[in-house]
Amino acid sequence: MENTKILHNKSKTSSNRVRKFKLSPMQKNIIMCFLSVGIAAIFLFPLYWIVVTSLKAEPEVFQNPPTFIPETLNFKSYTEQLSGDFNMFQSFKNSFVIATSTMLLCVVLAVPASYGIGRYRFKGRSLFLLIFLLTQMLPASVILTPLFIIFNNLGLLNTQIAVILADATIGIPFSILVLMNFFASIPKELEDSARIDGCNRFTAFLRVFLPIAYPGGYCLCNILFLICLGRLSIRYDIYSRSNSKANYCWYIQFYGSIWYIMELFNCICNSHHSAGTGYFYNYAKVYN
Amino acid sequence: MNGSRKKFFQHDNIGYLFVLPALIFMVALIGYPIISNFILSFQDVTAMTMNAANKDFVGFDNYIKLLNDEVLIKSIFNTILFTVACIIVQFVIGFALALFFNKKFTFAKPIRGLMMVSWMVPITITALMYKFMFSTNVGGVINYMLQSLHIIDAPIDWLTSPVSAFVALVIANIWIGIPFNMILLSTGLTTLPKDVYESSSIDGGANKIQQFFKITLPMLRPTIEAVLILGLIYTFKVFDLVYVMTKGGPSNSTQVLSTYSYKLSFDLFKFSEGATVANILFIILFVVSLLYITGTRKGGCLRWKTQKYYTIKAKPAQIE
Repeated sequence: MENTKILHNKSKTSSNRVRKFKLSPMQKNIIMCFLSVGIAAIFLFPLYWIVVTSLKAEPEVFQNPPTFIPETLNFKSYTEQLSGDFNMFQSFKNSFVIATSTMLLCVVLAVPASYGIGRYRFKGRSLFLLIFLLTQMLPASVILTPLFIIFNNLGLLNTQIAVILADATIGIPFSILVLMNFFASIPKELEDSARIDGCNRFTAFLRVFLPIAYPGGYCLCNILFLICLGRLSIRYDIYSRSNSKANYCWYIQFYGSIWYIMELFNCICNSHHSAGTGYFYNYAKVYN
Repeated sequence: MNGSRKKFFQHDNIGYLFVLPALIFMVALIGYPIISNFILSFQDVTAMTMNAANKDFVGFDNYIKLLNDEVLIKSIFNTILFTVACIIVQFVIGFALALFFNKKFTFAKPIRGLMMVSWMVPITITALMYKFMFSTNVGGVINYMLQSLHIIDAPIDWLTSPVSAFVALVIANIWIGIPFNMILLSTGLTTLPKDVYESSSIDGGANKIQQFFKITLPMLRPTIEAVLILGLIYTFKVFDLVYVMTKGGPSNSTQVLSTYSYKLSFDLFKFSEGATVANILFIILFVVSLLYITGTRKGGCLRWKTQKYYTIKAKPAQIE
């Protein structure tokens, strides 16, 4: 009896002592929130700087010392994009066509392949996987020169087809690696029951597995589209830009708007206006 | 004939038919280029001889020539230094941030998502951004901030002097790499079982630092390995960032393997030498990724270590 009392007292005093140093969960939460906002603010300062720069008038951009808030808001660089040399809509059309067709090509080739690898245990399966994994790790400069020569021989240089084919080489292994696990997770019994109901292996794939894989495939399409747009944006001298209205995912919208702003910044600084270099040449330049 | 074909594609072998189209595409556009790149590196092809029918076969001349090339040695050294510097810093900061955002507070998830933006921005744009921010006189906001904080007295010529250009590249690359490290490590952290932490603090009386070094690090080891290897591979083949920010200059001081390969192929039109440099890069990466893939397959010993620790810690023997 006494013992428990002492223990009780002891724990009370110790918890009292601790309470002096400990903050309440609420206070802790607030401090952490402020801290995280601070970290994000420092980390994302470059992006803020670029948005602010795009809104400054030209003399203010190169002013020393720099101003952190624009003295006068200037939307000239934005309106300039809608007309004249940097016609946004043409380049948007290009990037949209290329991103969409790359996405379609990747999906058409990668969905059956990932189904095959994920669902069937055939010989050499792990070798195929290894090959697809290794292509993910390939430095682009390895295939750059040969692709340049191949496309030159085929007369595909400076066409959109060359870009689509080259972009798809990145998209296909990626899609297979993503979708493979998805197909592997679908229960095998589904196929058995489909076959009992009169499907062969291909119709089972088309009528049963494809509809089930729809959400995964849809998600993958979005990611691929994003990747393709990103790759295109990298080819900054062909002025391909994204129009956020036409994209269908919020993150692509977000992405597109940043990209858009950056392109504007690019135009303000007037540094990279070497138009006329072909698609593939640009592709080659920044493919990595 | 028809019967035997039918027999072959029975059961699991039908998987070949599904893989075939993608495989043909990949062989045509990745496999063939890799092989022809190797052939190219044994020939002497320049812009003049590109369309010639018979190309000179020169054996290992290109390799010998390039291994005596000061610029190649320098670019190998630069690539390694760049990779090591970037990976160490971005891993440490990324890990710290992952631990920080793994705490439960209201803004944890939204802010962590927001931080991913720097990884999503196309690299060329990041490079242009940093090029602008690092500029010496006009609008160089980094110099301005460093001066107003009295860290430096005079503005630094960031991108035009050798050492600082390298530092600037490393900073820009770290900025891209931090969210990548952070997101992979925090997904790894969320998969760790909570009960180990509870039992270690209750039974073993371990404090947070002990918990970090004795539980978090060993149990996170597979994730850490994956993050480091992926970081190594992505950083080792860095191209756009260097190309846009410095183009390998001033005087090759920031030249890395991929930019040097590009310079040889598409600026100097020495296609064979460019292919040779690309092959050297490819072989290094190929070995690294092969080691990684085979290593993770075996992987048993790592898992065994953590499990051993788990069982020891879980024993009630440590209660005082």
